[in-house]
This record gives sequence, structure tokens and C-alpha cells, in this order.
Amino acid sequence: MKNIFLILFILITSFGSSQQCNSVLTGKISDFHDNTTLENATIQIIGTNKITISDEQGNFEFKNLCKQTYKIEVSHIACKTKVVNIEVDGNTYKLISLEHHLEELSEVTVKAKEQTTTKTAQETLIKTDVLERYSSLSLGDALKEVPGVSSINTGNTIVKPMINGLHSSRILIMNNGVRQQDQEWGIEHAPNIDINNAGQISVIKGSGALAYGGDAVGGVVIINPSRTINIDTLYGKTILGGQTNGRGYNITTTLNKNYSSGWFAQVQASYKRNGDFKAPDYYLTNTGLDSKGFAGRFGKRNFESGFEVYYSYLDNEIGILGASHIGSVFDIERAINSGQPLLIRDFSYDINAPKQEITHHLAKANYYKRFQGFGKVSVQYDYQYNQRLEFDVRIGDRRNIPAIDLTLQTHSFLADVDLDSNLDRKVKFGILGRYQNNFANPDTGVRRLIPDYDKYDFGAYITTEWKLKDNLILDGGLRYDYVHIDAKKFYLKSRWEERNYDQDFADIIIEEFPTQYLTNPVFNFHNISASAGVRIDLNDENRLLFNYSLASRPPNPSELFSDGLHHSAARIELGDIRFDKEVSNRLSLSHSYNTDRLRVLSEVFYNRINNFIYLRPFDFILTGRGPFPIWEYQQTDAELYGIDLTVIYDISDKIQFSNKSSLTKGYDVETDMALIDMPPFSTINQIRYTNSNWNNFSASLKSEWVFEQNEFPDFNFEVEDQLTEEMVLIDISTPPAAFNLIHFYSEATFDLSDKTKLNIGLGINNIFDQSYRNYLNRLRFFADDLGRNFTLQLQLNY
Amino acid sequence: MKINYLNLNAMKTTKFLFKTMLCLALVSSFTSCSDDDDPAPVNEEELITNLTLTFTNTTNPGDVVLMSSVAPDGLEDGLSTETIIGSFTPGASYALTIGLLNESESPAEDVLNGDIIPEADEHFFVYAVNGLNLTMTRDASDIDGPDGSKLGVNTTWIAGASSFGNLQIRLIHEPSTVDDSDEFGSATGGSEDFNITFSGVVIN
Repeated sequence: MKNIFLILFILITSFGSSQQCNSVLTGKISDFHDNTTLENATIQIIGTNKITISDEQGNFEFKNLCKQTYKIEVSHIACKTKVVNIEVDGNTYKLISLEHHLEELSEVTVKAKEQTTTKTAQETLIKTDVLERYSSLSLGDALKEVPGVSSINTGNTIVKPMINGLHSSRILIMNNGVRQQDQEWGIEHAPNIDINNAGQISVIKGSGALAYGGDAVGGVVIINPSRTINIDTLYGKTILGGQTNGRGYNITTTLNKNYSSGWFAQVQASYKRNGDFKAPDYYLTNTGLDSKGFAGRFGKRNFESGFEVYYSYLDNEIGILGASHIGSVFDIERAINSGQPLLIRDFSYDINAPKQEITHHLAKANYYKRFQGFGKVSVQYDYQYNQRLEFDVRIGDRRNIPAIDLTLQTHSFLADVDLDSNLDRKVKFGILGRYQNNFANPDTGVRRLIPDYDKYDFGAYITTEWKLKDNLILDGGLRYDYVHIDAKKFYLKSRWEERNYDQDFADIIIEEFPTQYLTNPVFNFHNISASAGVRIDLNDENRLLFNYSLASRPPNPSELFSDGLHHSAARIELGDIRFDKEVSNRLSLSHSYNTDRLRVLSEVFYNRINNFIYLRPFDFILTGRGPFPIWEYQQTDAELYGIDLTVIYDISDKIQFSNKSSLTKGYDVETDMALIDMPPFSTINQIRYTNSNWNNFSASLKSEWVFEQNEFPDFNFEVEDQLTEEMVLIDISTPPAAFNLIHFYSEATFDLSDKTKLNIGLGINNIFDQSYRNYLNRLRFFADDLGRNFTLQLQLNY
Repeated sequence: MKINYLNLNAMKTTKFLFKTMLCLALVSSFTSCSDDDDPAPVNEEELITNLTLTFTNTTNPGDVVLMSSVAPDGLEDGLSTETIIGSFTPGASYALTIGLLNESESPAEDVLNGDIIPEADEHFFVYAVNGLNLTMTRDASDIDGPDGSKLGVNTTWIAGASSFGNLQIRLIHEPSTVDDSDEFGSATGGSEDFNITFSGVVIN
């Protein structure tokens, strides 16, 4: 009886549907990535009960279909479900590919795995939650979370990152995929980056990441914005902060809108302001800061293709300690001997000369497309505009005219190809074209510090990653860069002869003036860089990393063209247009030990840099301001080596102890002298209590112990006080004493609603208001460093 | 491979975007490239190339001691040459006239009257002698300097017994504190615009 009804039902339905419903749809399901077939994929015709499974060859079949367009849903375990429209007309064949290997493509983090850029280099990731604590500080401050990374400062608002003893032009900074070009050759030029723009930061010691450049002799800093998610959502965060030292306040807001179609948009704005900072015994007059930033990006990010348009703006006005404005060597001597700044006024928010005003615009557009069975191709164009004004203490109507006015514009084109169809043998290659123009405005009335120049860069690289076994990865890379610099430089005739350029470079003079020559030096550099490394997982707990890298760095504009008085340092600095490129050979070895309770990471490196360029005093000139030391850039061979250690031990599930220590040594091989500005040994110990039941409350006490740098070059000199005919010792070399600072930090997170969270962080830096000076602070001759500082930060996530 | 209808549109859009970016980039690089003119030389305005100290005997105008320091590239970072013509007569009183010029400009710029004196409240001259029997006073008619002191431009010098030694003149810009109670003057802080010592000054 049932059977008759069934037969009738089938007959009726088959008559009920279209008269010609005998089309057959066959097809094959494959993996987009590497074109392998996918077995056991589920294929269903939406709106019907027709469902089938793909066989071993990925084939599937539907019979008795009508001539119409069907909506087919294909799904597979660990793949993103795909819906396609198929027009069926007679026998139809359809190839459908699914995105397999989701966890390899870094689009969605399935497990909490570290998404590092390199596999065998010494790379440390700083995540969002740590970066948020530095909202009121600078990039250089945040990077010091990594042992081995210190900073060279001019006061505490100008913070330049230093990786294993190397800084400035030896550090490459990538800001959302754009190589930062902001006159980083200057010792007083901090990176112009808003820390609040960063979602996560990777610090790579050495030049392991060849895709970005071949001249990162010191290291690479990769700043990435927070990831976009392909779901319909609107979320954001606002951070409000205040601090007692400097009476500073800061606010930043980020808003994100994402769509499941892949579209996304983000806007972010920051404002930071502080007045004069305070050392334990006095105010540091004229150390205020006024900083404004804005960034916006939008685009579409799908698996197969995507694009992004990004723009960021940063405007900084930075005051430099008033007492550091000196005219002569005797001013420095008086400053050193007085023990405290010779200019101390009451607190003020005013920022007067000497000060810096920097504006940085960055714009980028990039597009990528993935090709089946091949990989990903991406192209990018980016543009940067950096204007730097430095105001000196001047008289008359020149008071408001900067002494330095430099505008740097850079255009870059990049194209990269990622061949990742074979996950065990990945290859990446790309090319780069860059044009840069520097304009030094003569309206300053001061001879140009850096001349006008045009610079062209062409680069090509290839990197590869081989996964030989589950526990053995090899990677390597090769890169070639061609750099062409065409400058127009004025030399005083007296300097031209003193440098003996009249003998070697007479042919580059293009015009003669009463006291100066206009010359046109042109440089060409061919740079080869390479890297090779291996990563071995000895067992579940132990991992070894070994890496060799070769980097080449052409001399920067300051090393080539410096030619005159560096006011703030009261010394004459001379570059040399004869310089060769620096070539660094770096070996590194890391060992990490990971168990549930204990994590130990030790990183050792040896860096041999040939043609190492640095500044050292070599003579005097007796000017109308008294004797000035002349510092000359030298090219020598140097070697640096060191060890960085991180230990994290969970004493209990609520108490954690950690230690970060770093020892770096650097020597001029030719003279056997220590290199200048090497970071002294430092060790940071921290005890932290966390209780997830108390609104994620945590409190930590940190001891920062910096030893005295006992290996330093003795660049002290004696000058004659012409009046008394006595010799006066100018001691600019002796590093300050060791110091130990205790800091406290505590925070808790409250759920205001199911979508809104409030995090409150309270910190006390330098709890005991300890007086100290830091060897790596160029203003250490004039004043102590910061005294006690109470900080409060409120963060709202919504 | 059958290309989905949607993909084709995306390809067209991206091709257009690409061309636009290329054009924009080329245009902007051409505009910066078009700056083929040579840069203009900068002749520094704040240079002091010539310092002259003219000591004139108040009772015998013919008795003059002239000290000059000349630095063609500027006193700041250029080599300077000091010369002394004449010697002081013991017991005589001399009026000092200071000259500060920037001779890299044509006509020469008078830095003293053009820049220093108009900003007298931010400058201070400091004098010193070593081995010489010279004393000085800042005239009542001297220009007012910072904090109720006298700038040190109009001064009178008295030569004592025969001696020889060094005479120093310094110009301090924006000193933190000044003190002219000993007439020669002292200052803390600020920066030295110049610090010149004449050696071999003679009283005989």
C-alpha cells in the first residue's frame, strides 16, 4: 500500500516538475590552493532535498535536474562553505574550488599561534594588549618590551629604537606595509609613527626579512594594524589617559566597520599633550609635546582578492630641554660641572625654541589577487611626505624662522608574488621601485644641513621556505638593490680644500660663488643581501633557531654630506663623499624552552660590520666661539655581539615571575676601542599577580636595573681657556652611574554590558622618585631623567 | 576555466584603479622631477665676521688701541685671526667702542646696532682680563641689559701699571642670570655667541 503511494508520488512529482527535467549536473570539487581534489565534500541543491557527497576523485553528480539556475551549497570540513549559482541546461559540468588550509592562510586564527613573519630569525611579537599600555608614550618606548631593544633618546619624547646596539639608518621600519621614510638618519629624529595605529608589532633582530629591504643591518620593526574580520560588525575602542609628570593627557579613538562581504573601514584619531616634565629635584623646562594623529583605511578583503586604501597623518611639536641650548664647548663644561640644568623655570605647557615641528603624511593603495594552484600576486603604490622644521634660539625677525626646513617626498611601487600552492615549498619574490626627493629650503637663512637630492632605488628579491619535516624548517633569501643618489651640494671653499676634495672631486663643481662652490655629487651603489636559516624542534619543549644574514647599507645623507656646526651638540660634524656601503654579516642562534610553567628564550648574536660608519672626534678648530671639537665620520670595521634572555615562570596559577636581561658589546676592530653609545647591561625583574575572578585584576611590581656602561670610547678632550691659559677637561665620555628603578602597574577589566568593556590601568613609574641619568640619553649632560610619575588610563572597548 | 560574471567586473574595476594609480604616481613624480633648477646659495644672515674693539684715550684721541678678530666664514665655526695694534698707556682712561659686522653681506651688516642692541634684554657682554692691570666700568649711559644690568656696550677702561696679558670678551645670548656688580660681569646659562681672547695685550 505504501509502495503504491510512493510510486504515485514519484510519478506526480516527476510530472509536476518541468517537462524536460532530465538534465544531469556533474562536477568536481577541488582545493583552490593547490588544485588537489577534495573527497567527502557535501554538495546540496538549496531549496530541495538533493544532497550528495564527492568521491575520492572529488566528483559528484546530480540527475534529473530541470533546465534552470540552481543554487548549490558546497561544504567541506575545515573549509569555508561556498554557494554558487549553476545554470543547468542538458548535461552540465561544473568545477568548484574551495578554500582549504584555512589555518595556513592567516586570515582566521584557528588556534592562538604566533603569526610571525619569519621562521628562523630572532623575531618577537608585541601584541595589542601590551601596546595599549603605551598609548600615551611613543613607539620607541613600546619596543623596549623586547629584551635586546633599547633606545637612544634626546630627552624622553624623542625616543629612537635601538636593536642590539644599532639604530637610525640601520633599523628598517614598516608601517602598515609602507617602509617609513622620515629622515631617520638624524640622531635626534624619532620615528613619526602614532603608536595607537598599531595592532601588533614584530621586532626582528638582524635583517631576516629580506622582502622589505636589504639594508637593515640592525633590525626590522614591522607595525601592522589590527586584523579585519569578514563578518558584519561595528566595534571600536577609546583610550583616555593622564599622567602627573608633565601634567600630560592623551586620547585616542578607533572605529571599525566590517562586512561579511569583505568590505571594511577603519578610522582612528589621537591627541597627546604634555607640558614640562619633572626630574626629582627640578622641572625640565621646555620639554612639552603636542601631537595629533589621524588615520583611515578602507577596502575589501576576500580570500581570492582584495584591496586597501590607507592614509595617515601625524603632526608633532616637540620641545627640547631649554638648558641644552648651548653655544660653545665651555657651555657644555659649565653644564656638566653644575650638576643641574642652568635654565629652570616654573611649570608651563609652552613649547619654545629649541623645538622640532614635524608633519608626516602617508598614503598607500594596494591590491592582491590569488590565482588557483599558483599563489597570490599583490601590487602596491605608496607615497610619503615628511616635513621637518627645527627651530633654534634665534634673534630678531628670524626668531620664528626655522633653522632647518627639510621636505622629503617618497614614491614607491611594489609588486610581490607569493607562491604558496605547495605549503612545504613556499617561494616569494618581488620587485621594488622607489623615487625620493629631498628639498632643503634656503629661506631659513642658515646653510643647508642636508643638501637637495634625488634618490632612485630599485630592488628585487626572492625568499623561500622549505618544510622538510614537521619539526624542521629551512628558509633562505637573496636580494639585490641598486641605489642612485644625485645631489646638489654647496661647500665653503675653505672646507672644500680642507677635505682635499679639490684633488679628488674637482670635476663635480658646477658653479662658483664668492665663498662657496656648488657641486653635483652622484653616487651609485649595488647592494647584495642574503639570508639563510634553520628551525629545529628538538622535542615538544625545545626549539632551536639558527640564522645567517648578509646585509648591505649605503651611507645615508648625513654620513655623506655633513659639513658644519651641529648646534645642539656644539661640535662640527664632517661627512665624506668617499664612503662605501656598510656590509654586515650576522650570525644568530636562539633556543627556546617551553613547558606549562616555564618559558625560557635565549638569543645570541654576532654581527661583523665591515665599512662601519660612525662619528668620532679627531681635531679642533679655534673659532670665535672658542675651540670647537671636530667630529668626523669614520669608516672602520666593527663587531658587535651579545645575548638576550627572557624567563617567564608561573609560580602558581595566579603569580608569575619574569626576567628580561640583555648584554651587548661592540668594538671598533681597527682601533680596539669600544663603540660609542653601546647599551649597558640591563636586567628587568617582574612579579605579577593575576586573578581572573576579580574582573581580571592584575598587579605587578617591576625592578629595572641598568648597570653602568664600563666599556666606552674615551673621546674626552682638553681645551685651552685662552684667558687663563689653563687646560680645561671636557668629559663627554664618562657614562653615568648605574641605577635601579621600581615601577608598579595594576589593571582590571569590567564588563559594562555584553559588548562593552572598561579597562582601568593605574601605574606608578619610578616609585621612589630616584634621580638618575641614562647613558643613552643625549641630554644626560644637562639634567636628570624623569622623577616619579602616576599614570591612569581608561580604555573602553565597544 | 569558466570565469564567473562577477569576477569580470572586478577585473575591469581593478585594471582601471591600477591605471589611475600609475598615472597619478607618474604625474606627481614628474612635478618633482621638473625642479631642474639649481638650488640657490644661502648666505648666512646671523654671521658675525668682524669684531673690533677700539680703545680711545679720553684725553688724547691719538692714543688708540685696536683689537680685531676676523673670521671670513663667521666667528661661529670658522677660523678667526686676532690682531692687536697699539698698547695701553699706564694711568690713562680709555673709552671702548665695539664693532660687530657681517662682512659676508654686501654692504656689510651692522650686527651690533641691527640685532644685538634692539634685543638688549636678551644679551649680555662679559669681559675678563688675566695678567693685565686693566679695570673697567659700565657707563651710566650704557644700554640696559637683562634683569636691570647694563649690556656692556658703552664702557670705560683704566690702565694701571705696566703689564701684559690676555683680554677676553664674550657675548651671552639669553642668559639665565646676570651679574654686573663687578663691572666685568658674569652670567649663568644661555649660550655664548662668541668667546674671543686677545693674548699679548700690553700696557707700557
